[in-house]
Amino acid sequence: MTTATPSGVSATALDADAIARISQTLGEPEWLRDLRAAWWERASATPPPTGLEEEWRRVDLAKLPRDGALVMDAPELEVEMPQGLAEQGVVLTDLRTAVREHPELVSRFLGQAAGQSSHAHFWALAQAAWTGGLFCHVPRGVAVDGTLVAATRLASAAGTYLPVTLVVAEEGSSVTLLEEMHSPDGDAAWFGGIVEIHAERGAQVRYANLQQLGDGAWNIGAQRVVVGQDATVTTLNAEVGSRTTKFGLDVDMKGAGGTSRVLGILAAGDDQLIDINTVQDLAADHTTSDLLYLSALYDRAHASFYGVTNVRQGTKQTSSYQECRNLLLSPQAGAEPIPVLEIEANDILRCGHGATAGAIDPTQLFYAQTRGLDADAAERMIVRGFFEQVVGQINDETIRQRILAALAGRIGTTEGAA
Amino acid sequence: MALPNPALTQIPDSYKYGWSDPEQPRTTFAKGINAEVVAEISRIKGEPKWMTDMRLKAFRHFEARPMPKWGADLSAIDFQDIYYYVTGTDKAAQSWDDVPDYIRRTYDKLGIPEAEKKYLAGVGGQYDSEVIYHNIREDLEKQGVIFLGTDEALQKYPEIFREHFGTVIPANDNKLAALNTAVWSGGSFIYVPKGVHVELPLQAYFRINTENMGQFERTLIIADEGSSVHYVEGCTAPTYSTASLHSAVVEIVVKKGARVRYTTIQNWSHNVYNLVTKRAVAHEDAVMEWVDGNLGSKVTMKYPSIYLLGERAHGEVLSIAFAGDEQHQDAGGKIIHAAPNTTSLITSKSISKGSGRTSYRGLIKVYPGCEKSKSTVRCDALILDEEARSDTYPYMEIDEEDVTIGHEATVSKVGSEQMFYLMSRGLSEAEASAMIVNGFIEPIVKELPMEYAVEMNRLIQLQMEGAVG
Repeated sequence: MTTATPSGVSATALDADAIARISQTLGEPEWLRDLRAAWWERASATPPPTGLEEEWRRVDLAKLPRDGALVMDAPELEVEMPQGLAEQGVVLTDLRTAVREHPELVSRFLGQAAGQSSHAHFWALAQAAWTGGLFCHVPRGVAVDGTLVAATRLASAAGTYLPVTLVVAEEGSSVTLLEEMHSPDGDAAWFGGIVEIHAERGAQVRYANLQQLGDGAWNIGAQRVVVGQDATVTTLNAEVGSRTTKFGLDVDMKGAGGTSRVLGILAAGDDQLIDINTVQDLAADHTTSDLLYLSALYDRAHASFYGVTNVRQGTKQTSSYQECRNLLLSPQAGAEPIPVLEIEANDILRCGHGATAGAIDPTQLFYAQTRGLDADAAERMIVRGFFEQVVGQINDETIRQRILAALAGRIGTTEGAA
Repeated sequence: MALPNPALTQIPDSYKYGWSDPEQPRTTFAKGINAEVVAEISRIKGEPKWMTDMRLKAFRHFEARPMPKWGADLSAIDFQDIYYYVTGTDKAAQSWDDVPDYIRRTYDKLGIPEAEKKYLAGVGGQYDSEVIYHNIREDLEKQGVIFLGTDEALQKYPEIFREHFGTVIPANDNKLAALNTAVWSGGSFIYVPKGVHVELPLQAYFRINTENMGQFERTLIIADEGSSVHYVEGCTAPTYSTASLHSAVVEIVVKKGARVRYTTIQNWSHNVYNLVTKRAVAHEDAVMEWVDGNLGSKVTMKYPSIYLLGERAHGEVLSIAFAGDEQHQDAGGKIIHAAPNTTSLITSKSISKGSGRTSYRGLIKVYPGCEKSKSTVRCDALILDEEARSDTYPYMEIDEEDVTIGHEATVSKVGSEQMFYLMSRGLSEAEASAMIVNGFIEPIVKELPMEYAVEMNRLIQLQMEGAVG
């Protein structure tokens, strides 16, 4: 692998010079070149996971396709934004354009916060070597009506793509955003997208991420959600595609009175491995954080969930719940739900978790069949109803429909095999 | 100092059912462990070669394995600063004056008889229970039940011993179990023949002249087909130990249709690292139950396990933990479903007080093909003080579709309304919180033999009053 031109560089062959050349090739200002250099130093100083970490035990990182060249020509972001919002100062654009058009805004937020904990190495790598991404900024007090959508469609299955998504909702603003990621089936690829969401004081953010990567893709994604004082954030991550997903999510409840709903869906079949780790960090008084992850597992698919609720010492009146439910729809499917509580405070309002794994309740199947459905149709209906529980909670029709449509693909493909 | 039981003083020394304390050769080992120490322990005990070999093999494994990096902080343990073999005469040299005040106070408040206090504190021999229990032992012998100290059982029943020893927890298991296999001494050996039901709970007290609650004790229980037995280990009253590391191993084989319950109330003094491996295998239609209470020690790491190997086997773990100031109770349970139609239940109740920390750590694993397996895990934690901490680490690995597996946990504090209500009825704050805590652990306490349940409730009350350390 040569490092002569950035376009030929694989992520494993990166060095400080290659990072500088990426910045140069993209014609970036000096502050960004320095920022990338600083993150590169951090990536070098933060070793990649060894596989012994609790969050990384279930994924064989040695199989990560590391040799694909970095995608330099990031695909154009398909953006849907209701009219009139630009006039109110709402920005929804790809990150490269944002750097050119809103440098003061981007430089205020990009790469300024700590990364996501379990994926610290990959987070730093993406901050140093990103070549595309999304920037969404809602100014103070602006309430965005309707649903913002940003879709990325990678043209080729191969290569390494490390995009950065940055969502900032300023004080008192509100926004609903759906981000979609598609890539074709086929070659092995490494997708290492990172997402950072900031909800400032009193802001309301609904963010959905629909992952529909191709069947050769490795998704080593990470997300960090920072919930400010009295802010409310609902996130929904729907893992539909990829060969292997190892996704890390940190929710920082750092402002008093903040609320988060952390939702997740995974519909997996074939030989897919979907492994999620989460941290709900209740670091401020009167914060609420509820998590609900549902998985439906077909064929030989495997889902792991390792979620930690951490109630920090000295916090008062926090409220949290973690729920992870797994439907096993094939004898070869498997699930490992591990909901962890680490509670260092005693003045808690509510704290708990629940996890289940098992087949569809036979009485439900029987009931559906007495109403005239055949076994397959009954199963589909029950699985759909199972997912509706989560998707309904984001309370947005566009997001609901698009995610259910994406899920239908999985339920449909297993139809013939079953 | 209590007067000896006058009835016993009249018994001649040769009385065959009385307390006997044959002179043992005084053997002093230096601190620390190496292959020679291990071989020497085996030689002194006059063990067969296979046991010496197993000890040495386990020692090599102990040396090769790293310390666990998860769970409690074990960094203060120095394996070369520990005596690995202490004879009875060395132990008896301990003085009542060495027993910490808080333990003596607790004995007084619990109303423990003088002789039993010394026994618990490790400063005397067994108290005068021998005669009382003689009839029970005789009854057991008639039924063919073997109940001996583990060392004695190795000498007297070598075949059945060798057939089962180390089969549930092999010599190359985790580091601390390997250490136990290398240096074990004492413990109980129980064999219950086919179809025999032992009606009374068996307790280590029943045994003649064997050490109880040893530092590296090793217990092996075999319940043959269709039999049942309940074994009770330890006691609710605090047990003083000068040794800082206790690493026991308990192996249980529950054969087809048999039933075993193993109850532990651990209340070591607060200087002890208590790192225990307990595992049972349950065959077809067998039932295994662990009732595991952890009140004492500085650090406990203990996760009683059940391997459900036969169809329709059932496993239960009832775990209760109380962590006061500077204690860490890292406890829980593991159930491995390795056959169809197996069922399991884990119930954990933990209480953290002062700067105490309780951690529930558990595993439910279902292998492919174990259809119609069912498991429920229920963990509740109560956090009493601002500095206290509680964790829940429930692992689940489910590789079979046709199963019903559920886990639920809650963490809560004592509600101010509950306290207000009880105090409005005239209870002091300590009494009120003791009552709430007793109510919280009631589902487990009611599973204890009555005398233990009573003592447990009083002990919790003492803890809540801050009367004990």
